[in-house]
This record gives sequence, structure tokens and C-alpha cells, in this order.
Amino acid sequence: MVCEHCKEQQATITVTQVVNGQKSEKHYCEVCAQNFHPFNLDFHKEEQIPIHQLVSNLFGLPVWNNGPQEKAPSTSQKSAKCPTCGFTFRKFLNEGKLGCPQCYETFGKQLPLVLTKIQAGTTHSGKAPGKPNHHNEWIQKQIDSTREQLQLAIHEERFEDAADLRDEIREMERRLERGGVDTP
Amino acid sequence: MNLEHFLKSEAPGWMDVKGLDADIVLSTRIRLARNLDGYRFPLSFTENEAQQIDGMIYEALHSINADGHKFSHFTIKEMPALQRQVLVEKHLISPLLAKKEKSASVHISNDETISIMVNEEDHLRIQCLAPGLQLVETYRIASKLDSKLEEHLPYAFNESFGYLTSCPTNVGTGLRASVMMHLPALTISKQIKVVTQMLARLGMVVRGIYGEGSENLGNIYQISNQVTLGKSEEEILKDLQEVALQIIKNERGAREALLKNSRIILEDRFNRSLGTLKYARIMTSEEAAACLSNVRLGVDVGIINEVPLNVLNECMILIQPGFVQQYAGTTLQASERDMYRAKLLREKLNSNNQKLMEKGEERYDV
Repeated sequence: MVCEHCKEQQATITVTQVVNGQKSEKHYCEVCAQNFHPFNLDFHKEEQIPIHQLVSNLFGLPVWNNGPQEKAPSTSQKSAKCPTCGFTFRKFLNEGKLGCPQCYETFGKQLPLVLTKIQAGTTHSGKAPGKPNHHNEWIQKQIDSTREQLQLAIHEERFEDAADLRDEIREMERRLERGGVDTP
Repeated sequence: MNLEHFLKSEAPGWMDVKGLDADIVLSTRIRLARNLDGYRFPLSFTENEAQQIDGMIYEALHSINADGHKFSHFTIKEMPALQRQVLVEKHLISPLLAKKEKSASVHISNDETISIMVNEEDHLRIQCLAPGLQLVETYRIASKLDSKLEEHLPYAFNESFGYLTSCPTNVGTGLRASVMMHLPALTISKQIKVVTQMLARLGMVVRGIYGEGSENLGNIYQISNQVTLGKSEEEILKDLQEVALQIIKNERGAREALLKNSRIILEDRFNRSLGTLKYARIMTSEEAAACLSNVRLGVDVGIINEVPLNVLNECMILIQPGFVQQYAGTTLQASERDMYRAKLLREKLNSNNQKLMEKGEERYDV
């Protein structure tokens, strides 16, 4: 048998590994077996699925290749090319990464399809440049969501809960007036 | 400060400070990914762009007041491979940055709590480290520095996608928050699989501390958020905090159960491991990590009293191949490394013991 790592030498050593209860056997030559240890990331690299492959699997690149009905979106995606870095959407799917900030505009229509699969949403919420008071926005958001809960509580005639929620909102509003500076 | 300062064979000072839930959570890490508008990402930029970016970030960092933090700047290209590896093992730079050839560099704060990687996967990666579980506090430090840099740098930001990053897994907040946890009891009692599955459903990832593919080494796990878009920083941190607290609770419960049901077996195991660390002549990284984990658990539950936690923290870092080779002063084959590793551990654990003996009662203070 030929060594599974260098694929050149005769394999003389069998490495048995149990990962998460899954037993696997690898056959290496003496030289490669020496390099086999968990710290050596380079050694294990070939065994790991590359991230771009994972991304393109996830986004169904092969489906676009095969499905005749979906040919139309595929060609339109191909034609869009980022003016700054020359990336196409296909290249992004292959690399798993974008080429420049401009890409987000160039592929602004297709990207949300990808993002819904790997993220919690497609719109950013949180810190933004030039908005140092985003802590306030966060409080405001919390107030809004608590108000909704309050309405629900009143609707369901849970008046004790409603009173608590009302106090919570007052407290948050007070904090907002003070500029949201009191750190917890 | 020169590079030697950051290559010393000891744990960084911040690790000595006792953080919250320090028996289980070793450290907290916050990372913010940022890019400069008008420049291509490192994946496709030119050497010229890389240099400009490097220069701009250098200028920006030196024109702000970083709350008393002093930064030292190192160019990756100029570092020998072994030194890069040591910085990776200290988590001051990422393995990816260590491999970069184009104007990649790093700014490290002198106390080693902050490192700013330039031209890694993104133009700018701000990283903050802290002992124990303190997600919000650590994020605040990173965010403050980020806001100050923002005044001097044109960040690539988009109203709907947030901070733009090369990889869509970082876009939005650009925030990756991680906690390193020592979970021996959950591992021994095989509950860790359930925890890992639960975390995946909550949008969190579990990795080994020594990088991907090292899941079981030393029973240390790194838990971090997967999602960066659609959730605000506060939500991401809050969710991770809740998950971490839940895991801490489970680990404590599992430790108690183990101690109740099989105390003598544990005592045997802990002391055997300590003996191995103190007297073995050949030590693989796996064995060293496993023994250190046992001794650490022994210290946490009060069965072993003679080894201070900070020595264990230090040993955990020093057993990595880069540090072992640096200690030996030369590059080594795997088998030679195992011998030097054993020597290093013997020195650390035995010398400390003597020091403690001399100091007398102090050892009960640990």
C-alpha cells in the first residue's frame, strides 16, 4: 500500500484515530507518520474540506450546474463582474470570499440568498461608523420590544405583568434621557 | 518594544489575573474585522495597496490615544518562521497571518492583551484577550479602540450589510467572540457531544484551543459565535454569555458527580498525571495536554494543592511545538521535541515546587 499522505513511499505504519466515537484508520510511511500529530495543521489540511468547497456546497453550486430550469439565473450571475476587483459571482462561490468592498454592491441582489443560509438575517443591526450613540439605539429597540410585550399583556389581561413591563419601560426611558451612559 | 519581549517562555501577564469563573473559563477573546473603503481585500490586492494600507493603519494607530496602551509593530516577512509560530501559539497572531508574504504586519500592545493584525484576511483585525469570562468588558475595550481608529480610517461600511469583510461569514458586526473553556468532566462523562450539538443549533461553534482539528487536546474547547449579521453586538455577546454560563453550570455539576461517585479513581488519575509531568523523559503533546488537564482539574476540585494555576496556564502554552523549539534554541524533529518538552515540564513543575516550599505557608494561599 502507498502512503496516504505523500502518495510516494510504501505505507508501513497504521494510525488509528477515534474522533467523536468514529474510528478511522490511516496508512502512512515512516516519514509522514512522524509528522502526524494534532498540532501540525498543515499535515491535516488535505483531509479537511476546504472552506470554499463547503460554501459552494452550501449555496448549491452543483445544482446550478445541472438544473436546466435554473440556467437563466446562472447566466445572469455569470455576467455580473465587479468593476473594482474583477470578481464574478461564480468566482465568489468558488473562493468563498469576496474581492473588495465594492463586491457587496455589485452582487447586492444575489448576496442575500447566500447570507440567509449562513447568517441570522440579511440586514446589519448594531454598531455603525459615525454613530457613537448606538447604545441608545439599542435601548430604544429594547423599549420598542418591551412595549409590544406590554400590549400583549394588556390584551391578555395579565395586568401584574403589564405593570412590571411598564416600570421597565420607564426605567429604560430614564436611562435614555441620561444618555445611556450608566454602565451596567 | 523589541520582539524578544513577546517571545519569552512565559505566560503573558494578563493570564495571571484571576478572571470570573477562572476555574473553567481560561480566557475570553474578542475579534473585530474591518476593511478600508476603496481598497481591494487582501485576497486580491496588490503589494502596493498592501503597503498603503499598512502605512495608513500605522499612522492611525499612532495618532490616537489608546488608553495608555503602547503598541509595537512587527512585519511578518521579516520574522523567522519559528518566531511566527511562537506568536501563533500565544494567540497573538493567526496561523493565516503567519503565512502571509505581502505587507502583512501586527501591532501588539506591550501587555499582550491587544493585537491588531494588518492585511490578514481583512485589512484590519482588532483582537482583545482577557482572563476568565468577561465578554462585555473585553468587547468594550475592542470597540473603543475601533471607534478611535474609525475617526482616522475610511472603514468600508454599508447600511444594509454593515461592516464589509472579505468572507461573508464575518460581514455585519465583524465580531467574533470566543471563550476558552476547560471541560474535563463533560468530556469524561461524554456529555460534550450533546453540548456541541446544542451549540450548533444556537449558531455557535466549538473548536479545540490549539486550532481546528485539535478538538480533544487537553479537554479545552473554544466556543464562539458563528453569526455576525442580523444580530447586534449586544445580542451576540448576550447569547454567548448565556451559553457559557449554562456550560459552566453543567461542567460544575458533572465535576461534583464524578467526585462523589469515583473520588479515589480521580485522585489516582490526578496524581499519576502530576507524577508523569514531573518525572517523564519523553512527552508527546497529546500526553502533556492530557496530563495538564488532569492536574488542572485536580487543582480546581482541591485534590492537588501544590501546583498553582498560573504555572499550569504557562505549561499549557509552553508545550506547543514552537515554544519547545524556542526553549531548545533550535528547530527539532518530533521525537527530539518530545524529549525537550518533558525537560521543560520537569523544570517548570519541580522548580516551582521548591520555590513554594521555601516560601512555606504561601502555598496554601493559592
